[in-house]
Amino acid sequence: MEVLFLKKLGALLRRRRFGKELDEEMGFHREQVERAFIAEGMEPKAARYAAMRQFGNATRVKEKSHEVVGFRFESVVQDARYALRQLAANPGFTAVIALTLALSIGANSAIFSVIEGVLLKPLPYPHAEQIVRLFLSSAEYPKFPLNPFDFRDFRARNKSFQSMAAFTRGDMQLSGSGEPLALSGFGITAGYFRVLGLTPALGREFDTNAETPGNGRQVILSDRLWRTRFNAAPDIVGRKVTLNMQPYTVIGVMPPGTEHPGNDYHSLPYGESVDVWWPFEFAGNPAQRGSHYMEGIGRLKKGVTAEQANAEMNALMAQVSRENGGGDWKILVIPLYREIVGANQRMLLVLLGAVGMVLLIACANAANLLLARAAARQSEVAVRLALGAPRRRLIRQMLTESLLIALLGGGLGAALAEGGVKALVALLPAGFPRAHDIHVNAMVFAFTFLVSVFTGFLFGLAPALQASRMDPKRSLYEGGRSSTGSARQQRLRSALVVSEVSLACVLLIGAGLMLRSFLNQLNLDPGFKQDHVLTAVLSLPQAEYKTGADNARFFDRLMTALRSVPGVQYAGAGSDLPWTGYDENAGGFTIEGKQPLPQQQFHARYHMATPDYFRALGTPLVRGRFFTDADTNDAPKVLIINHVMASRYWPNEDVVGKRLTFDDHPKEKDWLRIVGVVGDVKDKPNSSGAEPAFWWPHQQAPFFPEMSVAVRAGGDPRQLVNALRDQVRQLDPLLAIGNVRLMDQVADESIATPRFSFFLVGLFAGLAIVLAAIGTYGVISYSVSQRIPEFGLRLALGAPPSGMQLMVLLQAMRLALGGAVIGLAVAAVMARAMSSMIYNVSPTDPFTFLSVVTMVVAIALLACYLPARRAAKANPMLALRAD
Amino acid sequence: MLRVMAKKPDLLPGTLDMLILKTLSRGPLHGYGIALQIKRLSDDVLTVEEGSLYPALQRLLLQGWVRAEWKMTETNRRARFYTLTAAGRKQLGVELTQFEQMIAAIGRVLRDPQEA
Repeated sequence: MEVLFLKKLGALLRRRRFGKELDEEMGFHREQVERAFIAEGMEPKAARYAAMRQFGNATRVKEKSHEVVGFRFESVVQDARYALRQLAANPGFTAVIALTLALSIGANSAIFSVIEGVLLKPLPYPHAEQIVRLFLSSAEYPKFPLNPFDFRDFRARNKSFQSMAAFTRGDMQLSGSGEPLALSGFGITAGYFRVLGLTPALGREFDTNAETPGNGRQVILSDRLWRTRFNAAPDIVGRKVTLNMQPYTVIGVMPPGTEHPGNDYHSLPYGESVDVWWPFEFAGNPAQRGSHYMEGIGRLKKGVTAEQANAEMNALMAQVSRENGGGDWKILVIPLYREIVGANQRMLLVLLGAVGMVLLIACANAANLLLARAAARQSEVAVRLALGAPRRRLIRQMLTESLLIALLGGGLGAALAEGGVKALVALLPAGFPRAHDIHVNAMVFAFTFLVSVFTGFLFGLAPALQASRMDPKRSLYEGGRSSTGSARQQRLRSALVVSEVSLACVLLIGAGLMLRSFLNQLNLDPGFKQDHVLTAVLSLPQAEYKTGADNARFFDRLMTALRSVPGVQYAGAGSDLPWTGYDENAGGFTIEGKQPLPQQQFHARYHMATPDYFRALGTPLVRGRFFTDADTNDAPKVLIINHVMASRYWPNEDVVGKRLTFDDHPKEKDWLRIVGVVGDVKDKPNSSGAEPAFWWPHQQAPFFPEMSVAVRAGGDPRQLVNALRDQVRQLDPLLAIGNVRLMDQVADESIATPRFSFFLVGLFAGLAIVLAAIGTYGVISYSVSQRIPEFGLRLALGAPPSGMQLMVLLQAMRLALGGAVIGLAVAAVMARAMSSMIYNVSPTDPFTFLSVVTMVVAIALLACYLPARRAAKANPMLALRAD
Repeated sequence: MLRVMAKKPDLLPGTLDMLILKTLSRGPLHGYGIALQIKRLSDDVLTVEEGSLYPALQRLLLQGWVRAEWKMTETNRRARFYTLTAAGRKQLGVELTQFEQMIAAIGRVLRDPQEA
């Protein structure tokens, strides 16, 4: 084999000599044949022709001999050179195809880089496939946090896990040197980082000793906090820092790239979003297991599947419930990967599908253009076939051309993808998992290259086969106007346009459904007025503010101070803001004179509010009254509930004045009287409905360490930011203000995902319909130019010009309607895949379907406007003469 | 007038190399000589197309089964003469055996069953 290679290499180096020798050898052969003919008595001239005829196509013989000694790539290089010449000779044609391909390949690469970063790249934990999340689940609460003591039992008894940990959100406030700083923090059990497979860069992680209450305050810092706030001090371990006004000992620093695995309950987005970790302490009575606020995470033993672990954990849960008389909980074991990207997987795949359709349309368009040009090149191909070019080689040459165009488009597309990915990441909803992992990298380039090659074959194959299948004789006789070939071609081109239109229809319907869903969400009554509201989060350290009364006093003073700031209309504070999370109380209260349905409990979201909280947010009062400053700790206990709670637990009753209690054996003073009903706010803007909720007045409420402030401004709320900071600082200079945002922003983030997907699908649909319009125009225009003589003749015979126009319009209509019918059928099937992404719209929404058909027909009419005019103006004389 | 090459019935596939090698086993010849020899010896039944002959010769050269050198013919014309190499002789043996086995096999198939 090697010898063969060397010999071939030698032949390649001496190819000129090889050619000359072959020429001479064949020349000799021909002469001998000629002589033989003369010897048989033929005329010398006739003998020469006869010899030449017998010898046949000398060039072809030479080519074949070359192929024997030559390398494959030599002919490939030849093909490429030929293709380059062809492309350079038609720069406009090349540019049109390359640009449309560049757009669609670029869009594909951009979406693929998102998919690569979010779905394909492994999670940044060693053997991440072993990591699972643990939740409780019941019919009423499909995904619920764990109770700490339940967790401790799971950890002690399970056999499926290498290690198991639990964590819960608990932000902290750093003071000491410099401005007080609000930190996002998590309380974690021992071995939390071992589960993730991470080890501290400095120091160590918490051990089980730290879980015992009173064992000293310890903290682990993030790399970012260590660098920005402590100048990356190498001796940080063992030092004390002031958190929540108390000294904590730093026992470790995590390395950069320590990513929070995400959490469900008071969630902090996935990523490097955590500043501090503190040891979770198992305080309180282990027999009382009613509160659930821990999220579980575990690393499975080698060879144990999530399903096996699920089975074991459910058995364990049943055991633990029997021992402690707990509720009817099941356990959910969810692989971490699915937990992180699951919610976005479908959206990303739908986007990939959409952008793939755009590529298919661009391919159909390119194929159409190539077919049109193949018609113009018929005589060239005929001559080459006649001269003995093998069909295989012709096909290869044409494919080389389409591949080169595709690669050109791919190269441009890769450049577009660079910019596109930046735009995409900027557009991604805040908190989108793994957004920082999205880059145009080698994988993306490889994908782009493969897609380009695939594209080149896809759109080049049909035209190449079509062209090489022609009969050279007929084509040469007819001077390049063969009628049978062109009928078949016209059919192929029409089929391509119909498929383009149908794909564009699918995309338009997708975009239309998303637009309607997006508008539905925009027009939802959120239950509050988002404009002109400034919000911020304040955490009162329990060391300084020991009781609910301390807390209430602080907020009383802050609200009074804020009310006097010019530009402030209302200032309120509450345990949370709409759409930012909630706490749930299930079975913890009794309603006077009511029994819950069997197997159910009374449950409600519980909150706390100052008197002006609802006014500041613009939540309407439905009945009764808001809280007032008179609802103090000494006054009768009162509550405000939402509309859903009123209608669910007191259907058809006037709820104001009704009572409920949180005490199992209530005395008269333990009953809380409902004084007001406010409008509903859903948990999330696209939740199917609001859940029951109640508010305590802040003076009577239990302690809420973290409070949200809402200030309604007469003018621009941004101008109140400094006033808010000043007022807080005057009251307590050591308090950090966190998360200063406009309610507009909060509302905006909540619709960012539907907006993102709608925007992209809309963009792709727009691109698709433009491409389909170009395709329709191309086919109609080509067929009109073919039929100009016919039109001319008809006009000459007295047919009205409007008749010609109608014929062209009908042709376009057939294509558009054919495509639309197929498109609608496909969309009706495919839209079901989108049903989880659209809100309050049927996947077969007749309005959307009808609008898309109308639009497609209108665009087809537009696309054939110019060709139709040309048909009506066909000059009979010109057409007849040209023949 | 342009002519599209029509396909003539070809040699049995794979036999051309063997025929060339066999022809050369009787002594060095140039390309025309080889074609002529095959035609004569087969009583004009087998014609070797030039379009197959020269590529085949290149293939044999490449495999090292024949050697080529430029020499003068009896009529004092320069021509490339091909000579069988030792490897070529061996290859000829291999191909002949294979060919005979095949012919025998075909013969067995074609024979009427009654005769057996």
